[in-house]
Amino acid sequence: MKRENIILIARHFWVNAFRGKVVYPLMIIISLLLCFSAYSGWTYYEKQNEIRSNYQQKARESWESNPDKHPHRMAHFGTFAFRLKYPLSMFDSGIESFTGNAVFLEAHKQNSVNFSEASLSTGLLRFGELSMAMVLQTVFPLIIFFLGFSAVSADRENGTLKIILVQGAGWKEILIGKSLGLLALIVLCFIPVLLLMLYFLTGQEGRAATDVWIRFLCIGLIYALFFMILSLVTVSVSASSRKSKNALITLLGIWLFLVVLLPRSSQALGSYFYPSPSKVEFESLIEEETIQKGDSHNPDDPYFNSMKDSVLNAHQVSSVEDLPFNYGGFVMGIGEKNSSMIYRKHLDELMRNYERQNSLSKITALINPYMAVKNLSMALSGTDFASYVDFQHQAEKYRYELAQKMNELQMEHISPKKSEGSAGKSHVIGKENWSGIPDFQHHFFSFENALKNELLSLISLVLWCLTAVWGVTYLSHKAKSV
Amino acid sequence: MYRLIFKQFFRSKVVILSLVLVVVLGLAGILIGKQFLDRQERATEQVTQYQKEHIERNVKFHQDEMGLLLYYLRFALINQPDKLAGLSIGQSDVNPTIQNVTIRNLEGQKYDTDLVNPSSLQAGNLDLGFVIIYLLPLLIIVFMFNLLSEEKEAGTWNLVSIQSTSKLKYLLTKLSVRGIVLMALFVFLLGIGKLVLGFALDSAYFAFFLLGTCYLAFWFSVCFLVVSFQRNSSFNAVTLLSVWLVLAILLPAGINNYLGNQYPVPEALETMIDQRDGYHKKWDSDKRETMERFYTHYPQFESYGYSEGEEFSWLWYYAMQQMGDDDAREESNKMRDKLMLREQVSKSVSWFVPTMHIQLGFNEIAGTGSSDHMAFLDKTNAFHERLRLHFYPKIFANASALDENWRDFQPEFTEKNLSVEWGNLLLPLICCTVMVFIFAFYFANSIK
Repeated sequence: MKRENIILIARHFWVNAFRGKVVYPLMIIISLLLCFSAYSGWTYYEKQNEIRSNYQQKARESWESNPDKHPHRMAHFGTFAFRLKYPLSMFDSGIESFTGNAVFLEAHKQNSVNFSEASLSTGLLRFGELSMAMVLQTVFPLIIFFLGFSAVSADRENGTLKIILVQGAGWKEILIGKSLGLLALIVLCFIPVLLLMLYFLTGQEGRAATDVWIRFLCIGLIYALFFMILSLVTVSVSASSRKSKNALITLLGIWLFLVVLLPRSSQALGSYFYPSPSKVEFESLIEEETIQKGDSHNPDDPYFNSMKDSVLNAHQVSSVEDLPFNYGGFVMGIGEKNSSMIYRKHLDELMRNYERQNSLSKITALINPYMAVKNLSMALSGTDFASYVDFQHQAEKYRYELAQKMNELQMEHISPKKSEGSAGKSHVIGKENWSGIPDFQHHFFSFENALKNELLSLISLVLWCLTAVWGVTYLSHKAKSV
Repeated sequence: MYRLIFKQFFRSKVVILSLVLVVVLGLAGILIGKQFLDRQERATEQVTQYQKEHIERNVKFHQDEMGLLLYYLRFALINQPDKLAGLSIGQSDVNPTIQNVTIRNLEGQKYDTDLVNPSSLQAGNLDLGFVIIYLLPLLIIVFMFNLLSEEKEAGTWNLVSIQSTSKLKYLLTKLSVRGIVLMALFVFLLGIGKLVLGFALDSAYFAFFLLGTCYLAFWFSVCFLVVSFQRNSSFNAVTLLSVWLVLAILLPAGINNYLGNQYPVPEALETMIDQRDGYHKKWDSDKRETMERFYTHYPQFESYGYSEGEEFSWLWYYAMQQMGDDDAREESNKMRDKLMLREQVSKSVSWFVPTMHIQLGFNEIAGTGSSDHMAFLDKTNAFHERLRLHFYPKIFANASALDENWRDFQPEFTEKNLSVEWGNLLLPLICCTVMVFIFAFYFANSIK
């Protein structure tokens, strides 16, 4: 195998492509699509983050402006967590449009994360979203197929293939050369994407930490791998088809099956076989279990009554008013702990079920490089399922700690005599306590965890690469010139 | 000749394979629709059972304190989907079909989302609507792309052109064979859908059928146009698939991006904060002021007085809760207007994009679109107001909970009035189809 020959063939493919008329309109369309999706991804990111941080701040100001009051009132006043978008979400919007963005955090109650873009949409969202990643994942494969389906078969049809072979080029050189030429064409379209991202990310002040750059590099790498696999597959199909027409039909069939049919069907099957509970079912199970554990609303509840007795015994007093701390705060602290544990258990179970639903389409990544790239790209852009679950956990953790902090303040600073109720101006604590509690801070999911979650997809992509290279080598021994 | 054309058509392996694939996916789509309807039905049963037990338990504990009891009690309003929703699930997977609300501040409750797997939402539902909107056009493309070119490439075209009286007529006969097969498939799937999902054969079903038929006719016209250019099979396949990609994915997705960017909904977040501050800050503000505002809203209750001197009273509490709604109402209405605007713009644009039009049309017929959900939110407002007006005087007078006939409080169902606007529904597709066919005939006249 001679390097000069490979380069010669690659260059010839490249020059030939530009000689045809198709390549220019294709490039123009691609550029327009990419520019539009970059622009829209970026404005969406900026607008949404501005809106969300603006309201986060507004909510905070409102929180801090509270006068002296009973801490339990503050526990109910609560606060909000607004989910900030990760900078790379402008590249791949992932599942973000389908997840809620704002949640009200208050004592005793885990509220749903509301106002996903999908719930505000008119139903058009179901056609998908235009993002740079989407263009790279769905349109680029088609472009590669369009440009490369006749790479070898056309030479065979017009007889030049025989001439090239006679002139001393080996099959392997031809196949690799053509694949490289094709890959180079696509990389030519891909580089502007990276440059656009580079431009946007460097324009980001402060936030674009090393984490973002590592992710950016990985994104560049996995898409390059993806395009390499596609180029090799295209050239192989072209080489093994008797006619260009057949090669094209095969490739289009592959595209339809892997990009349109398989992802939706596998997810639908997953949801079909692992149905998730309805909201009523989910909530009533939690309520039931909480009541079984101990119902703080029931005045005769045995759990809370025996707890009261033991607390009174331990402090050797006869009534809760004589305790050295506020008993109401203590009871609420216990109640919060119990109900949060039960809620957390059920939420984890629900999320595990969602993961089971997703598992089928995750596994298809092994046979579908499109799926592998899609999953990796979402994970790297911080817009995958795991990042969302992580946000939910962070919000719930903050909510729990806030409620417990308020219960502690009540135990310490509110008179034991005030065992019930939280209205009025007499049993209050100072407002300086409010600003002392840090605001909710959303920490983005770490790079290592994101990658760990998508190990399967990564392995699949590498395996596909090896298979494609092996396939080309195998073909080079088998291929025929007529 | 007809019989021979049929025979010739079914000889292609690609045709058979794709037909089988679409039938399988179509049946899967119907089953998924069935599962969706069953799930809704089960949720309805669960909420009915839950409400009964929930009321019983709370009445037992809090019978002497009406205000406290109503703090806990939740009442369900169910937006029962029509059976047709099984064909086009639309937005009803992300928007809840059950509202389970207390009589407290509604703005803090009514936007609560259902439990859904975001990954499934992203992948999209595989309902029959999807099969019709995405896959049947692909099937038409497979049927049509080499209508003329295969004869030219196989060398049979010369024979045909000397033997037949009109080349155009021959092509149209070939097209009609494909049309018949496709319509048979469409009717078959809808028929199975009827058997499995059990919807009535009413005007909505008929509208669904007609809309689908017009859409399929549109795709035949597009394919025929490309065929009439008389290029080779590869060109046709590439062109048609690109048209499909643009119409079924890129254009609607791009328009959706535009809508999201052009009309963001910060009002949603504003409403969230306003309803909280509107209520919670009243704990620290002047009690009399709150009560005065409450009585401006509901002058009929003024006789209950101002509960001054008491540290806490349920009258004051519910007046504060009411303020949460009253303060958030302005932003909430703005949000509603914004969503209506999004809906309106989508609809106007969809006149020119058949794929969008049929998607919105299917959702509207089946009552699963965003306008239906907005109507549900409005009905929730009315339902909530009715509950409030029923319970307010009893709370304020601290009536005994035992005098209330709690068995009357079963979950309620919304009335859906699904009416079909035939003109708006069918005209856009008919116009597009006719226009494309006219172009196609213009080019087809010169077929050599």
